Amino acid sequence: MTLPTEKVDVVIVGSGAAGSAMAAKLAAGGKQVVILEAGPERGNRDLISSGIWARRLKWNGESVVEDGENPVGHVFNAGYGIGGSAMHHFAVWPRMHEEDFEMRSLYDRGLDWPFSYADLQAHYDQVQRESGIAGDAEKEIWRPPAEPYPMPPVPRFAQGSVIARGFDKLGMHTAPLPLAVTTREYNGREACIWDGWCGAGCPIGALANPLIIDLPIAFAHGAVLQANATVSRILSNVTGEFVTGVEFNNEAGETRQLMADLVVLAAFTVQNPRLMLASANDKHPSGLANSSGTLGKFIMSHSAALVYGLFDENTSCHLGAVGGQLVNQDGYGKNTHADAGAFGSYQWMIAQAVKPNDLLGMATTRPDLFGHDLHAFMQDAAHGFAGMTAVIEDLPLAENAVTLSSTLDRFGTPLARVTHTTHAQSKLLWQAVLEEGQAVFKAAGAREVWTGPQAAMHIMGGTIMGQDPAHSVCNTYGQAHDIPNLVIAGAGLFPTSAGVNPTFTIHALAARSSEHLLNHWNSIVQ
Amino acid sequence: MPQTRRAFIRTTGIGLLSFYVAGCKLELTPGEARQQDIPFQVLQVEQVRILEAFGEVLLPGSAAAGLAHFIDHQLNAAPADQLLMIKYLGVDPPFTAFYTQGLAALNDTAKSVHGVQFFELSVDQKIALTGQIALANPDGWAGPPAPFFYFVLRNDAVDVFYGTKQGIESLGIPYMAHIEPPSRWGE
Repeated sequence: MTLPTEKVDVVIVGSGAAGSAMAAKLAAGGKQVVILEAGPERGNRDLISSGIWARRLKWNGESVVEDGENPVGHVFNAGYGIGGSAMHHFAVWPRMHEEDFEMRSLYDRGLDWPFSYADLQAHYDQVQRESGIAGDAEKEIWRPPAEPYPMPPVPRFAQGSVIARGFDKLGMHTAPLPLAVTTREYNGREACIWDGWCGAGCPIGALANPLIIDLPIAFAHGAVLQANATVSRILSNVTGEFVTGVEFNNEAGETRQLMADLVVLAAFTVQNPRLMLASANDKHPSGLANSSGTLGKFIMSHSAALVYGLFDENTSCHLGAVGGQLVNQDGYGKNTHADAGAFGSYQWMIAQAVKPNDLLGMATTRPDLFGHDLHAFMQDAAHGFAGMTAVIEDLPLAENAVTLSSTLDRFGTPLARVTHTTHAQSKLLWQAVLEEGQAVFKAAGAREVWTGPQAAMHIMGGTIMGQDPAHSVCNTYGQAHDIPNLVIAGAGLFPTSAGVNPTFTIHALAARSSEHLLNHWNSIVQ
Repeated sequence: MPQTRRAFIRTTGIGLLSFYVAGCKLELTPGEARQQDIPFQVLQVEQVRILEAFGEVLLPGSAAAGLAHFIDHQLNAAPADQLLMIKYLGVDPPFTAFYTQGLAALNDTAKSVHGVQFFELSVDQKIALTGQIALANPDGWAGPPAPFFYFVLRNDAVDVFYGTKQGIESLGIPYMAHIEPPSRWGE
């Protein structure tokens, strides 16, 4: 693809879920779109089924300095190359609940989202039809108002049945996990074969990632993608009222500029505020579009509550999707564990397909074992292992933030520093949910039950949206309050984290934002 | 466009490392590289002896599976191509110092406590020392945090032993690859 030299309509920084979705919608709407991706070019043939090779999909760009008591795990959670982190995401696509959008009004926590669930529902439904989600709307008793799922639910294998037995005995519910994975042929995509290689990328198109869903649409409408293009600065006009394009370094290390009517930052939660802070100028001395002082603040990361067990039955734990087979949201109400001092929502992702090695592999669940004991465990676990993970809501704190390090990258841009310490009530929720999970496994008949450490899952916030320009960076459509033709896309917009996986919501926000931008183009661009 | 699974399987290779010996490229598994005594590019002979002895304590059979050649090959690759799990454990590349300093600290501890190098300890002594560093830094430890070093090396051993098609199938689990690892690691 040849990069235009003249001014284009839209330049998008990043080709992950948010950037690709924006590119597809804006290009289909007739706009000339260029995507700049810092990482390498990648196609389906590069998605090797191996936990070792899959590490190429993880962040490999400029270092991110992490501190705080609970680092966000940037390298593990972020992606690198075309498709970004969506190339190794597990495609668990539940919706946020209605109350998640009113955290300030209902619970005096964080900020309200600048719209309600009802305002986003049509976009959830639209994305669901386009990308394909498998689920069972009737059994998912917690699900907010929504269209039925377009595909039948994911199959339940032995591991799912074994763990479901524990939920049943405790009077708790389970339903098929909503997955953006094909359970039948869907829009020309093959059905999943449930081999558990989701985290290594899905080359057959069963899992909805940008290479399958959005980039083909964007390219069909003329969008151009430049890989190995690292954006180092956002350019603005002399008055600071508009952005005019971006400065980037290409694979040869040459500095280039690309001018555009609209700049979309979709470089993931950490790099977006880093770029805005690093683009400070005399009109925006504390960072671009930072008149509120909130740029970079309210970084959130779900804590993962990890519960494992060994059963006498054969669980066939290698089968299925890595995201899981079943979901439980009985504890989604914010005060389910108030007696423990906890606050927030959570959901269980149940019966996740597992491999022997890598950070989420069977061996890593028992780091205390080595030698012949480890071999014995591996033989045992290969047949009787089971696991589930809870997504724990992380309450927003202003001190959890992206700031600039004093260390510069190879292009002279300060590195990002991410500080994150889990909110005390979120930590208490994580502990209470771990207890619940162990009770479920014991009720299911596990002969051995253990838990994992608090782990970071998903990264959100930092460029939060809100109604009030004094307390948020972006408006309801992701436009910076201070600069209307600078748009942020992705989970950085989330003012609160909810207790569900973010990717479906990222897509719904991108659909909503794109629709608005196209409908009001002339009043938005200079 | 998505690829069909059948098309991928037709084009698969097996998991090998590539080595250049006397100008000739050899494609070998890590275990074959060890059997053929292929020269190391980054690690020194003594470091290899410590690493293999430690690997055998962490996961018996990992030395023969080529743990040292696997790590050496990865450390010799460009940072963007390195596939060691340490890359997402909060350590910035290059990773060579992490390994060499950790191995030196392990060996120094063995010499300090027992008066011999780590690979010269009895099996029971190796196991006892490994159990110790899994929990805390021994007195005088001068390397990366000992429990973290243990965690990383243990996972490397698991990678080379159980992370391959052969290793996964040794557990009775079908590999079911869409695309099997191609002929060269780390590229």
